[in-house]
Amino acid sequence: MVDLRGVSHQVDRTVILNDITTRFQPNRFNVILGPNGAGKSTLLRVATGLLQPTLGEVRYGDRLVSSFSATALARKRAVLSQHVELAFALSVEDVTLMGRYPHYDRVPSARDRDIVRRALDLVGMHDKRQQQYPTLSGGEQQKVQLARVLAQIWNDGSGARHTYLFLDEPTTSLDVHYQIHLLDVARGLLKHDCTIVAILHDLNIAFQYGDVFFVMDAGRLVHVATDAADLSRDLIERVFQVQAHRIHDPDTGDAVWRFALESSGRSGGTGS
Amino acid sequence: MLKHLSFRQTYWILGVALGMAVVASAAIGAFSFTPAQMVRYLGQAAGWLPAVPGDALGRNVLIGLRLPRVFVAGLTGAVLGVSGTLMQGLFRNPIVEPGLVGTSAGAALGAALVFVLGSGTALAFTHPLGSLAVPMAAFVVGFAATMLVHRVSTSFGTVNVFTLLLAGIAVNAVCGAGTGFLSYIARDPQARNITFWNLGTFTTADWRSVELIGVCFGLSFVWALRYGKALNALMLGENEAAYLGVNPRRLILWLLVVNTIMVAVATAMVGVIAFVGLVIPHVLRMMKSADYNFLLPASALLGAVLMEVIDIIARVIIPPAELPIGIITAVVGAPVFLGILLRQTRRGGAGLHG
Repeated sequence: MVDLRGVSHQVDRTVILNDITTRFQPNRFNVILGPNGAGKSTLLRVATGLLQPTLGEVRYGDRLVSSFSATALARKRAVLSQHVELAFALSVEDVTLMGRYPHYDRVPSARDRDIVRRALDLVGMHDKRQQQYPTLSGGEQQKVQLARVLAQIWNDGSGARHTYLFLDEPTTSLDVHYQIHLLDVARGLLKHDCTIVAILHDLNIAFQYGDVFFVMDAGRLVHVATDAADLSRDLIERVFQVQAHRIHDPDTGDAVWRFALESSGRSGGTGS
Repeated sequence: MLKHLSFRQTYWILGVALGMAVVASAAIGAFSFTPAQMVRYLGQAAGWLPAVPGDALGRNVLIGLRLPRVFVAGLTGAVLGVSGTLMQGLFRNPIVEPGLVGTSAGAALGAALVFVLGSGTALAFTHPLGSLAVPMAAFVVGFAATMLVHRVSTSFGTVNVFTLLLAGIAVNAVCGAGTGFLSYIARDPQARNITFWNLGTFTTADWRSVELIGVCFGLSFVWALRYGKALNALMLGENEAAYLGVNPRRLILWLLVVNTIMVAVATAMVGVIAFVGLVIPHVLRMMKSADYNFLLPASALLGAVLMEVIDIIARVIIPPAELPIGIITAVVGAPVFLGILLRQTRRGGAGLHG
């Protein structure tokens, strides 16, 4: 699990995170929700150990994140970001192999190579392993980044080792096929002793994939729910400043949300 | 064309090319040598063959003038190739090279400061090991100039191409003006030679400069080889590299140090040679791979080959005079530079390749 205790962060005089104490659940898909500027990305940076908060501490299990060496931390947690552009052309395989960098010194082992192959297989990019990364579509590029991240914290069961996967709006700018694919693959990791913490913007997608929900607003953690049904319409309307309507999928019975500004009665409100 | 070869095979090809270039460079010039003559003179100089008095002139030219020049040229080419690779990795941009980001111009200014204002200027020039002050001053100013360009062109972990170019122009202009002023007020005729500072020349090469550049290059190169993985990771951006266990701040600092050590010493010895550092990694990426684990050793080899060839051209094109090295590198390199720049701006503007 990821334990945050009294985490506050400020830049100059601006408070970005305000005294957050919470725990991301082990082997669960934890989702951070909140409007733009709520401090979600900063919270994720703090939780990944990239950013040292002004106050408070972060622990993985019972160990302080700041006590890990950079390499040890890189073996324990991986982060998938929104969209990674490459300054130069490398092959899909070379990019994926970067995930193994924290695991070898000068020459990758046979096991490293094997993990790269399996990670590419898992995301369905093994056939394109020789292609140059910049020639791929945005969706395919993100699949390769996912493979890289999977390779970084690959758990083949040889040693019981808990890992952490952080997703920083990974599906933004992906079409719905790639979104679903990415999150399906990520969820598959939960079976392999992994904790997932994700920032997702699409609330319906978030409710579909998340197990635990952390709602942020203006630098504070305002609500934690272990079931999407526990997130009240009031809360969502207040935090996101929209009109929300919950409707039910007649086939599955799942709740689906539609949103509008003010009480226009129409979904997908008009931007102002 | 080398796409199907392994990295190791590519190194062998480049190594053989370098061997041939070195032999050719040793043989060709105002004083030409046949291979048999070169073997004989080398044998005599090493004491394996009895010294023949009639060979004294040829032997002295080969051992005292030609060979140091061949080695200085090769080492300088290797320095510039590796430096271009390191700087392109650091700035995450293929238009970068030590001449652009201020390292060379800063190093020249540092060297000129000691040359002209320091005591015993003539001594400092002819005996580089006798005066480490010149390369050290070159290091300090070269480092400061590169650091400044990097700081100005980087914001929030990404490099802006236009800011980079403008910062490079400004820093190079200031350093160039300083060097120009110093060479104008210099009493030493050699330090007054503005061609040396701005266009580079190997005519002053001697065994001491071979030693100095050789040692600095050797140490820096072995050190730089450790950063292959980190430079690859940095292609993804500073944050992604950090997530892979790289400390970007530390990496950037060390890259600047390693790079400046090599470039400062080479510049203090032979002057500013532009565009080699730009062309070498570019050609290698097109021929083979952008993997820094490959680029670092390969750019040393190809840089040395290219510089030997350029030096041969400089010696034979307008005999008995010599063309400054920088004129040839500019003719070859500037079009490549413009080509890369054009492609980059076309593909999507200033922030690209950040």
